[in-house]
Amino acid sequence: MTTAQLVTPAAPSEASRNAQRTRKRIANALLNTKGLIGLTLVIVFTLMAILAPIFVPEALSTKIDVTARLSPPTAAHLLGTDQLGRDLLFRVLLGAHTSMIIAVVAVGLSIALGLPLGVLSGYFKGWVDLGLSRLVDTLLSFPAILLALAISAVLGPNLRNTVLAIGIAFAPYLARIVRGETLKVTSLPYIEAARSQGASDMRIIRKYVLPNIMAPVIVQATISIAFAILAEAGLSFLGLGTQPPTPSWGLMIQASRDYLDVAPWTALVPGLAVALAVLGLNMLGDVLRDVLDPTFNSDR
Amino acid sequence: MKRRDFIRHSSALTGGALLLGAMPTLGAYAQSGTPTKGGTLIWGHSETTQNLDMHQTGTASTSRLLENIHDAIVTVDSDFNIVPSLAESFDVSEDGLTYTFRLRPNVKFHTGTTLSSADVKYSFERVKDPKTGAVNFEVFNDVAEILTPDDLTVIVKMSQPNAPFLARLAENGAGVIIPDGSGDTQGEHPVGVGPFEFVSREFGNEVELVRFADYWQGPAHLDKIISREVTEPTVRLTGLRTGEMHIINDIPLDRVTELEADSNFQVSKWFPLSWAFLNFNHKRAPFNDARVRLAIDHMIDKEVLVQGALWGQGEVTASPSFPSSASFNKDLSVRPQNFDEARRLLQEAGFGPGELEFVFKVTTNYPWHVEASQIMLEWFREGGLNVSVQQLTWSDWLSQCWVDRDYDVTMMNFFTLWEPDFLYYSLWHSTGAFNYRNVNDPVVDELAQRARVTVDPAERTKIYHELQQRVYDEALDVVLWFRNGTLAAQNNVGGLDKLVHPNGSNLEFRHLWLDT
Amino acid sequence: MRYLLNRIALLALTLLLISIVTFILTNILPGNVATMIMGTRGNPVSIAALEQELGLNDPLVVQYGRWIGGMLQGDWGTSLRFKEPIGSLLGQKMAASGMIVVLSLIIAILSAIPLGVIAAVKQNRWPDTVSSGVALAGISLPDFFWGIVLILLFSRTLGWLPSSGFVSPADDFWLSIKHALLPAIALGLSLMAHLARMTRSAMLEVMSQDFIRVCRAKGLSEGSVILRHALQNAIAPVVTVAGLQLGYLFGSIIVVESLFNYTGMGWLTYQGLLNRDVPLIQATVFIIAAVFMLSNLIVDLIYTVLDPRISFD
Repeated sequence: MTTAQLVTPAAPSEASRNAQRTRKRIANALLNTKGLIGLTLVIVFTLMAILAPIFVPEALSTKIDVTARLSPPTAAHLLGTDQLGRDLLFRVLLGAHTSMIIAVVAVGLSIALGLPLGVLSGYFKGWVDLGLSRLVDTLLSFPAILLALAISAVLGPNLRNTVLAIGIAFAPYLARIVRGETLKVTSLPYIEAARSQGASDMRIIRKYVLPNIMAPVIVQATISIAFAILAEAGLSFLGLGTQPPTPSWGLMIQASRDYLDVAPWTALVPGLAVALAVLGLNMLGDVLRDVLDPTFNSDR
Repeated sequence: MKRRDFIRHSSALTGGALLLGAMPTLGAYAQSGTPTKGGTLIWGHSETTQNLDMHQTGTASTSRLLENIHDAIVTVDSDFNIVPSLAESFDVSEDGLTYTFRLRPNVKFHTGTTLSSADVKYSFERVKDPKTGAVNFEVFNDVAEILTPDDLTVIVKMSQPNAPFLARLAENGAGVIIPDGSGDTQGEHPVGVGPFEFVSREFGNEVELVRFADYWQGPAHLDKIISREVTEPTVRLTGLRTGEMHIINDIPLDRVTELEADSNFQVSKWFPLSWAFLNFNHKRAPFNDARVRLAIDHMIDKEVLVQGALWGQGEVTASPSFPSSASFNKDLSVRPQNFDEARRLLQEAGFGPGELEFVFKVTTNYPWHVEASQIMLEWFREGGLNVSVQQLTWSDWLSQCWVDRDYDVTMMNFFTLWEPDFLYYSLWHSTGAFNYRNVNDPVVDELAQRARVTVDPAERTKIYHELQQRVYDEALDVVLWFRNGTLAAQNNVGGLDKLVHPNGSNLEFRHLWLDT
Repeated sequence: MRYLLNRIALLALTLLLISIVTFILTNILPGNVATMIMGTRGNPVSIAALEQELGLNDPLVVQYGRWIGGMLQGDWGTSLRFKEPIGSLLGQKMAASGMIVVLSLIIAILSAIPLGVIAAVKQNRWPDTVSSGVALAGISLPDFFWGIVLILLFSRTLGWLPSSGFVSPADDFWLSIKHALLPAIALGLSLMAHLARMTRSAMLEVMSQDFIRVCRAKGLSEGSVILRHALQNAIAPVVTVAGLQLGYLFGSIIVVESLFNYTGMGWLTYQGLLNRDVPLIQATVFIIAAVFMLSNLIVDLIYTVLDPRISFD
């Protein structure tokens, strides 16, 4: 993970309360354009990820033509070709499938792991919380990219293990947020009321806790997908992620580094794809945060 | 056999004629002019040096540096004749059982001590001792006794004739002499008699060498060499272009042509540096079936592979022998791509389209192998095979393919060995040290063993040709290509024409100088 | 205050847990140490013998005890690949990484503040758009992509800066800085982007406050208002936060150092991972995690001091 997710905005100070309202208005003004751009980008890339494998046979993205290697964009190859003469348009389209699927499944996995951990920790408190929090804090002590690299090295690099590595590495971040939100929810009076009426813990969690913490989870998930795309690219770049010839954006950037000065499009095409997808998800995440959870700030 | 006879014979064995022009060919600037003394040369070295113990290290890249610190007892000239080095003369008895080396007097080690027969005995015994873990320990397998009648005479007694003995002393560090008792420290701080003294190494970053004033062939021109270890090819090239480096080896394959046309630099290219082959795990069905192996061989268009993976910087071959050596079997021709034949063979072996599934493991240590695997993958798919590629780091490849032999199909390259015993016995004999493919072919075993005890060079050469034919007919492995060696230097680097050693792998920096 | 004490008391426990996680992680790495040491010389017999010699057949608890015991006495073991005591490697590489991390922090702060200020002052006009665009580009593209672009621009095209390697400041101070500059920029870009966004919002916040209106009312020039009053108030939290990102930057060095062949901690970690150099991976992963955790702790402590309302329950 890059520093991006980890940078912590200053905690709200007393003085900032007034200003927040002002800022809110500015945010609202931006909301429409920003949200629109973000949403459009996310929809485009989601469609690309889903439709590309249906309409573009995989063979087109791996078809090698040494005579047409490093060709600039032409009528035959709309976005040019890579060092083996493979068509970059087809590769970037199918790469969307690989990269997005990895990112989405990995984040799904991190939710599957982090959500129960966080809820249990925040709901039961006491020893459960102490134990689980230790575990989460310990895992949080490892920079996510380091943890993902180590896990990928342990399991051996391939598509499935890349998902596992990113999913596991991201899980503690989610667990921490969920725990905080659960703590907030459980201190609300209606939980006490439900409890005094004899509702079981499971029922309280299902009926009251989960619905109330979903907003920050959705926000975090959206932003996490962006970071998962970057993480997949980083892992693939170091050779510990997706394996060739499967087209993935990270792998395409890695392959392009040797040809950047003679064939800059080989880097620009996947680079731009990563940038736009991440940008879209970040923008959407920001907007969702403002809409769904105005009080929620940062991942801390 | 007299020494002169031996030399004549061994020259016949290893081949006098240049079949394919093995020697370095210079680019834009032929070297002339007078050497100037002094200066520090910065070399952008393509690989990270490993264990610095010349006897133990197995990688060509580390040897490339260490050869400048050491000399061997004998060496080869450009026709692969065994010629004197630290031994000023050598004799072999008629029965091939006694080797007598007469050492050059007054050869100094970097420590200041003088080379004596005790150092030679120590070095030979050290390599022979399995505990040392020397790559070439088997060179001394038949050595019964090493005698040192005086300071400058070494007599080696063999228990049975070993035809390749002298040649193997000249190759790959087996005959390198280190000071008596210095073995334990060689790995950290190598000491020898060579033209350059080791100063320091910062692991993975740089190695510093300085001129050894008392070198027995006269001191080198350069004061100092700094070897910067830059494994990323484009970064190395950038280093040369920005002037950070004077010389780099292994120009990125796709930039060789561009750099050759650039008058700001000198480019040196030689053929070959290494050869590559596709490997099958013979213990795993169906790769123990020659029809399956041949079918796969038939799917590969080697010419396109050389263009695609090596950017044309190499040549196809069906024989792995050094192309200018006698053991190179020029009658073997590369199998052309023929999908019909491939499908027919597969069908015969019981595999219809899409029925044979396997994993092709390839190491990222050699980027051109990764490219080659992706190109071959397309052909394999076209030929009706269901193949996936798995990339492995160097350590994973070593552990999975080399040691555990846990793979279906893989590929590797070796630097070109002009000495056929080393090449064929260690790679294809069922007990060979490099037989990580589980090759177990009685015909090959018999031939490799017979060659070892056949003293007559012409006869021996014939045996090696037969052996190659067998490897080819059965497609025990698929030999793919010879890759060019390349290096590029600033125009002020002099003596480039003598830099590459006849073995095509080592670089002799003592011949270089820097014009001011 | 009780939180602080708790947190510090838990420090030792967390360090212990980090060491356990590190140990478990490195011990389930496939491809073992003995194989790696033997390299192309390896065969099943020699490898089994070496495993015995290295104590790799001992129970894991014994091996863990040996590792921790050694570490407490300052003995980090010997790197399999580098054949050097890890302790001495670490000192050297920490200093190298320290240099790019600090440098990237300085670069990030020095470039982020002007960007943020301009964006705030020219809010919603083109300088704001440009500045936001730069910030977004910094966040949206992976650091190694920027690294490649930087090499291409500053080394290959302009020839100003070396593209790879590390030079010790003790040998040649300026050359050492030159080598550290590109990796530092690549490392600092995403932080710069964030700081620029922070500066912008902090400036907007300060400038909407009463005392700025008072300043303007007093007739002070707009430049003076912005630079002397608004910026002074906005800059403190930005710089504080930036300073606290050292640990996070430290976590991002693996990719960047590998790209630039910059032989620091990140490079060392990657080498360890690539070569299954278990003692080295244990040491580097443990140290990076420890630095990362300590910096997290300091962030929390400072926030608690700054804003007592945060309870971190």
